[in-house]
Formats: sequence, structure tokens, C-alpha cells
Amino acid sequence: MILEEPIMDVLTLKNYIGDEWVESKGEVVDVVNPATCKTIATVPISTNEEIKAAVEAANEAFPDWRRTPPLARVRCLFRLKELMEQHFEEVSRIQTMEHGKTIDESRGETRRGIENVEVATGIPSLMMGYNLEDIASGIDEYVVRQPLGVFGIIGPFNFPFMVPLWFAPYAVATGNCVIVKPSSEDPISQIKIAELAEEAGIPPGVWNVVNGGRTVVSGMLDHNDIKGICFVGSTPVGRDVIYKRCGETTKRVIAQTGAKNFLLIMPDAKLERTIAACMTSFYGNSGQRCLSAANLVVVGEGQSERQFNTFYEKVVDKFVGAASKIRVGYGLDESVQMGPLRDRRKKERVIGFVEKGVQEGAKLRLDGRNVKIIGDWPHDCFLNPTVFEEVTPDMTIGSEEIFGPVASVMRAKDLDEAIEMIHSNPFGNAASIFTSNGKWAREFQYRVECGNIGVNIGIAAPMAFFPFSGMKDSFYGSLHGQGREVVRFFTESKVVIQRWF
Amino acid sequence: MEESGITCAAIISSTQKIERETAKFYEHLAERYTDDKADFLSFSKESKKNEVLITRTYQETISDALEACFIEGLNLNNIVLARTLSRDVDFATALRMAIRLEDEATKFYSEIAERTRSLLATIPMVFKKVAKNRKNRKLKLESILRSLN
Repeated sequence: MILEEPIMDVLTLKNYIGDEWVESKGEVVDVVNPATCKTIATVPISTNEEIKAAVEAANEAFPDWRRTPPLARVRCLFRLKELMEQHFEEVSRIQTMEHGKTIDESRGETRRGIENVEVATGIPSLMMGYNLEDIASGIDEYVVRQPLGVFGIIGPFNFPFMVPLWFAPYAVATGNCVIVKPSSEDPISQIKIAELAEEAGIPPGVWNVVNGGRTVVSGMLDHNDIKGICFVGSTPVGRDVIYKRCGETTKRVIAQTGAKNFLLIMPDAKLERTIAACMTSFYGNSGQRCLSAANLVVVGEGQSERQFNTFYEKVVDKFVGAASKIRVGYGLDESVQMGPLRDRRKKERVIGFVEKGVQEGAKLRLDGRNVKIIGDWPHDCFLNPTVFEEVTPDMTIGSEEIFGPVASVMRAKDLDEAIEMIHSNPFGNAASIFTSNGKWAREFQYRVECGNIGVNIGIAAPMAFFPFSGMKDSFYGSLHGQGREVVRFFTESKVVIQRWF
Repeated sequence: MEESGITCAAIISSTQKIERETAKFYEHLAERYTDDKADFLSFSKESKKNEVLITRTYQETISDALEACFIEGLNLNNIVLARTLSRDVDFATALRMAIRLEDEATKFYSEIAERTRSLLATIPMVFKKVAKNRKNRKLKLESILRSLN
């Protein structure tokens, strides 16, 4: 059954600046549902003047907003959370329409987003400083956390609803103002959130949305009144543009970037549960997430060569068997387990990697280019799951981020070799181990240089009250998104030492 | 294409349908057999609450990191929905239909609770609760049937 689509007519998206929904003077591009290939909205690519206007509006709102008591600020967020709950199904279906993910995945994304709003409502406690009496005779010292001003939030295409919410609710709760730039590929979710923010009574200028591309990003980076940038996207942009430019303009920065995640299966792993977790990890969101596993490493720790071969075959057969049965189609069909890629260009890119894998000598065990889907939809953006065997960490498909439904299977004779494989890769976003052995698990989490570790968990996605970590080429900055760390990011510590004569 | 597992979304839609149909079924019984109207209306009300409870639990616990698209071992084609009562059905036959419905629903919800044990605790918990509700209804219906004899 196909669920009813919440977008019936083509939407004309505007910018939300101050308390106005403003038409942009920039060119307009289509937002296309990747499953049906129908245009569902048009979005402007805003101009430099428009981002400047948004910064001005936010800057103007800041002094009053920072003086608003934290409890009053979070009441707006309580209302926003309530509105998000009321619109839960609508916003989830919008995500499926604009991104392509399955309805279960969209609802999961909505929940994760709301959880960040919930955690940010704890700001009256989370933002508290601390104090100590009598640091010297009659002298007391304390620290207060103060907001900084205006922050820019640059969202990625793969989680159009959730990712800006790793930052925006905390920024606003701590007394800052934000300008959100959604991905122009799927901006509708952020427009919907801004509508709800307006309805929740968040004052004009505190929460702004400016649609667009590079011009808006450059405008944010170059503007002196923007105090910091939160970015989630590719490593080249995160490192060479965002992080670099924020350094030059002395802005705070969180740049969460690319990934190439390894998932290890040890000989004592509970295989049935492990394979189910693998399907979600490798093929969930069609592989378009920075926590997706990309390299499956079967580890023969403590096994003879014969035992290892038998174990390896068993794992790979089960993995391929499960992957080949995944139902692909339009995410609003509740029976579908994997949706399309976000657009044709992304599909072509993934196909390029598959071709490269074949050229470099990997064994193509399951070819997802043979598209079979449920429903009569255009095949433009669809791929089925792909599995490669005999992949090595130095091959293109074993080392570069594919961002699609492609699994590369590798072999490691023991845990040490598997960890070396992980460390040979420049990324350090996430890694998982599946085992029943506490010693191996402890060794893994202790040694592996990745920000998010899963032990019998395929997607090591930190909850809203923990930082979304990342290391090496997967993260540029100091403090991470979500939870207490992002509260630190959005506030400056001011120390007061006082004595009364 | 060989099938693999089912999605949480499909399970939730099925349970919503079951509870909606069940609520209607008991409303019909309440209209037709007024001596036990209060019991039938309370069953109908409970089914509506079950639907809300299941939907809320799902929406509050669904997460992009769960293996939500790959629930193994359930066949939603086997679910049995409440049937419309034909005009000539006597009270005892209607009660037996209701008892069978509750029995099958109890088994179905117990099965889902078992299959979703690997997800967050609240998910199997809610299905166990609904299974228990439906089991209690069966006991009540059996006692009404006994009182007829």
C-alpha cells in the first residue's frame, strides 16, 4: 500500500528571514522526488544580499533574545516539540518524498530530530556555570556561559530533517540566533520546521532559513557577524572550504564530514542478528549516511585456515542471501526496505564505483545495477544492493566513500590485522564489531581511531544527549554536535572574580 | 523476487487495522445484544486505546538506527480481522466468533512481541500489553457464553 503523499501540488519555497516569508531574487531549481521523478517543489538559490539580510535580521534579534530568560526561551522549544509531534506523520512523509528513504527511516529521522529539541529544553540546567567561594580571602570566583550571537547551519541532503536539529535547538536555547541553509536538493523539511518554529512563537529573527548553494555558504563564511558555522557534508568541502575559512575569519566551527566505516564480524558473533544489523547498516538510507558500514571485514581470530574459510563462506553467503532479498521501491510503500538514491547523478556516481571495483579485480558477487523494484516507478534513481568480495583496503571501492548501497567484503586473519585495515583509511567516523567476546570488544573500542564505536551495533548513532563524534578526515573542529558539547560550542565561558570591600 | 522480513511500518499499519476493525465489530455487538452492551462498548473503547498506544509507542521509539525494516519470521497475510456479523447470527455464535477473534489476536500480538524483542524494550512491552488485554477479553467472553448455558 502506498501511503498518501502530503505534497499534492508543486510548492514554491521561500526564505524565512525575520518574521517574513520572502521571495528570493535568485534562480530557481526543481526539487524532484527521486522515486517518482516528479517535481514536488521549486527552491531558490539565494543571493549574497539575501544572506546578508538574514544575518542582519538575526543580529537585530540577538540582544533581546539573549536577555530572554532561559526558561522562557525553552518554552518556545517545548511548543515546537509539541508541534513536531502533531505533524510527525506529515514531516516524515515529506522526507520520503524529497529524499527517497523508506517511511520507517523517515519516521526514525523525525524522532531523532525531535529528541534534540527535547534535550535542548534542558538548557536551564545544561547551560549553568559553576562557582567557588573563598578562592582567596573574601574573594569568590564563578563562570557563566554566555551566547555569542548568530550561527550558520549548513545541512546535508542525506538527513534533511534531523541534521540541522543537531545544532539549531541548542543554539536558540542558549540565546543565539540561527540561519539554516538546507540542502537545495531536499529543502522542504527545513521549511516545514521553520513554519512550526514560527507557530511555536520563536521571535522574529531568531530562527531563519535561507535556501541556496555556494553563494549562501560563502556569504555565511565571509560575514563578520556570524560567530560560528555548523556543517555536515563532504570532506573536501568541510576541510578545504568550511574549516579553512572559519580559521581565517576566526569563527567557531563544527565540520562533520565523510566516512568509510568498517564492520567486523568475529567468529563468535551471533550471525542471525548480525546479518540483520548489517542489512540496516549497509543498505539503510540506501547507504547514504555517514554512519553506514561500507567495508565488511570477516575476521578469523583464533581459527585455522580451514575453519576460517568455512566461517568466511558462511558469513558471505548469509550476507549476500539477505541483501539479494531486500525489497527496493518507493519509500511510501510500507513493504519497501530500501528506497532510491537521492538523484540520477548520485546513482551514476555509485555505478562508477561499481565499475571501478570490477576493473580493479574485486569479485562482484551481487550486482545492484540490475534494477528490480516493487511498483511501476521510473528506474532513474534506483539501484539494488551490491556486494563485492576479494576487496582490499587500498582498492578504490575499499578506501573511498561511495555513499551508496555497496558492500565491500574483506578478510582479516585476526583482530590486529582488521584494526590495521581501519587505521590505513584516512576517515574515522564509525566502526563496529560483532562478537560475544568482551575482551575483543574492549580491545576494539580502546584502540580503534574512530569517533563512534558500535559493539554489536550496526549504526553507532549517538543519542541526542551524547556528542555525535568523529575523528581524522571525518571531523574538523573541537566540539561536536548534540548534547553537552554543542552547548559549550554555542556559549563562551566568562569568568568573574569578585570581592566586596 | 524472494521475500525477506517485513518492515515496522507494515506491522504497525496491520495492527492499526486490526484494532479499528475490532472496535467496529464490538460496536455492532453492542447495538445488537443490549444486555451486554457495556462490556462490548468497553472492548471497543479499549481497541481504540490500543491503536493509540501502539502508534504512539512506535512513533516514540522508531529510530533510524534500529533494524526496523528487517523484522523476520512474521507473516502479515495470516492475520485475521473481525468479520461483519450477518443478520441471522444468534448471540452464542457471535460470542464464539468474538472468542476466536480474541484468541487469534492474542497469538498474533504475542508473536510480534517475540519477534521485536531485539528492538527497544517499549516495543515488545506494548505488544505484550495488548496481547494481555485481548486475552482478558476472551476470558470475559467465555464467561458470558457459559452464562447462556
